[in-house]
Amino acid sequence: MKAWIKGIGWITPAGCGQGQQTRVQPLQPGVLQIPTRKQIFSTIDRRFGRLDDLSRIGLAAVTFCLRDAGLEDWQQKRPWGIVAASRYGCLQTDLEDLETLIPQQGKLASPNLFAYTLPNCFLGEAALRFGLSGNSMIINRQDPDYLTALKTGLEELAWSAQTAVLAGIVDLAPAAELARPDDLPGSLFLLLEKGSRPESGGYGELELRGEDLFFNTERVVNLSQLVANCLKSRVSPAF
Amino acid sequence: MKSVVISKMACVTALGEGPQNLWQGLLDGRSAIAPLQHFSTENYVSSLAAGIKDLDPPRDGSRLDPLLEKLAVQLGAIPSGTRLLLASTKGEIDRFEASRRKGEPLPESVLFETLIQKIARRFGLSDDGMNINAACASSTIALARGAALIASGQAESVLVYAADILSEFVFSGFSALQALSPVACKPFDQHRQGLNLGEAGVVLLLTNEEMAQRQQQPALARIVGWGAANDAHHVTAPARDGCGLILACQAALQKAEIDSGEIAAINAHGTGTLYNDAMELTAFNQLFAESLPPLHGIKGSLGHCLGAAGALEVVVAAQALQEQRIPGTVGCEDPEETARGQVSTACQQIAGDYLLCTNSGFGGINAALILQGVKS
Repeated sequence: MKAWIKGIGWITPAGCGQGQQTRVQPLQPGVLQIPTRKQIFSTIDRRFGRLDDLSRIGLAAVTFCLRDAGLEDWQQKRPWGIVAASRYGCLQTDLEDLETLIPQQGKLASPNLFAYTLPNCFLGEAALRFGLSGNSMIINRQDPDYLTALKTGLEELAWSAQTAVLAGIVDLAPAAELARPDDLPGSLFLLLEKGSRPESGGYGELELRGEDLFFNTERVVNLSQLVANCLKSRVSPAF
Repeated sequence: MKSVVISKMACVTALGEGPQNLWQGLLDGRSAIAPLQHFSTENYVSSLAAGIKDLDPPRDGSRLDPLLEKLAVQLGAIPSGTRLLLASTKGEIDRFEASRRKGEPLPESVLFETLIQKIARRFGLSDDGMNINAACASSTIALARGAALIASGQAESVLVYAADILSEFVFSGFSALQALSPVACKPFDQHRQGLNLGEAGVVLLLTNEEMAQRQQQPALARIVGWGAANDAHHVTAPARDGCGLILACQAALQKAEIDSGEIAAINAHGTGTLYNDAMELTAFNQLFAESLPPLHGIKGSLGHCLGAAGALEVVVAAQALQEQRIPGTVGCEDPEETARGQVSTACQQIAGDYLLCTNSGFGGINAALILQGVKS
């Protein structure tokens, strides 16, 4: 199972970014700043203010990823999927929503917040903004190397007619009692395109062999190492 | 591509325990939708839901704990090396809610990875597993992924475990969205007013043919087609033209290598909300043109079981193919014009090998499975 890494975008404690603009690997622990609309979109976006924080960071990373690949604009819907791995999902939004429920026994329950207590809703936000009509799902599991979404994304490409998949991670900082030392708050997505097209720019080939991932034939240890290697070996478009 | 067999199934629903009780309840046209006892519904637009009786949690446990035990006992032994896929939208939401109401720290069990470990332990599985969270299409997509793992030869057997329970957290949210029906829901009825929530636990063991034979386990049905697609339209409302559902069904038909005319019946999502049901009928009428097959929905009996809904409907579909009949759609007294003649409160005979199951959910997601009956 192979795909070409066409774009990378992120928001992490290191800030917002995309692969073509830096060679510094951005996945790091620290305090995550939730992005404003202006940091992501240059024009007014009426929906952005209604989004929960998880959706804001996920949507930001997807946007920077597509922008990095030069594929932000679209005319017709595209058969591209989204797979996002998340340890904590929308737990933070759940907590905020519960705070609207408890005080008056449900009288003040927020319909807007509730809509985002399903973590896949931000995938819908991304899909409608960028015309992504493939499969979309959040996956939750133990993921110490942060590579599960990439492996699942490659499988999605191999097993379906989707031509590209945005695969990545998304997590807010958790409640203190659940936090782990290796948490990476933020979101980072890679755009995986079916087939290998280095002439159109990008980073290199990602392959799944058995349980192992390989980037340009080198075994991938974790997501940070993969992103660092991508940034070192990016390819400019030939046209 | 290897053939994908449903080898074993177990379920616990508001209609009782086990696929046979579920099937008989549906054939009898029973509804488990009743006034909720779990919490006060005074401030909500509905007081109704389809709850499972006798699901008392242990001290500091979840209602998912006794559900897991019942399902594990029902299903029995499974092959070693089986992969695990969980499909749940909110997991141990009752523990989440209880701990916050008491001002206590959140327990680890609110994380899906902890729930997966618990399920793996109970079934004796070594797989790390994965939860698939795709709103109301979660278990449909989990079954599709399980089928793909087997079809590609990456796994010999996959356990798909789907469960969601009733909670005030979710109930209040649907109430705030004005999506709950104040009366028992009426899927595909012209006078439908919304959905009722339900709860369920479902387990399906998928295997390849060789494994099924080695286990001397007769096939209950085959999963031959699957597909998923996003509307790319709205986060909480379906695309009125049904574009995502059509794409998902077309992908499933293509995977199954059959024509839409070979579909004998449809088990639709049929939530009872105005827009979902209208969207589904639009999509099905476009897909099947003049030959819309008999269709039904089970949420008038069991409520909307969220992440477990799709898996539950597959259990029903497998039995429908075996007996060549579909249960009636409870609550659909006066069907929508575009479904008239194809949906009924009475059981319908069907004739054919294939049944289409579909689900759609928040986030614009749609998913479809095609089951093939197995001649006994």
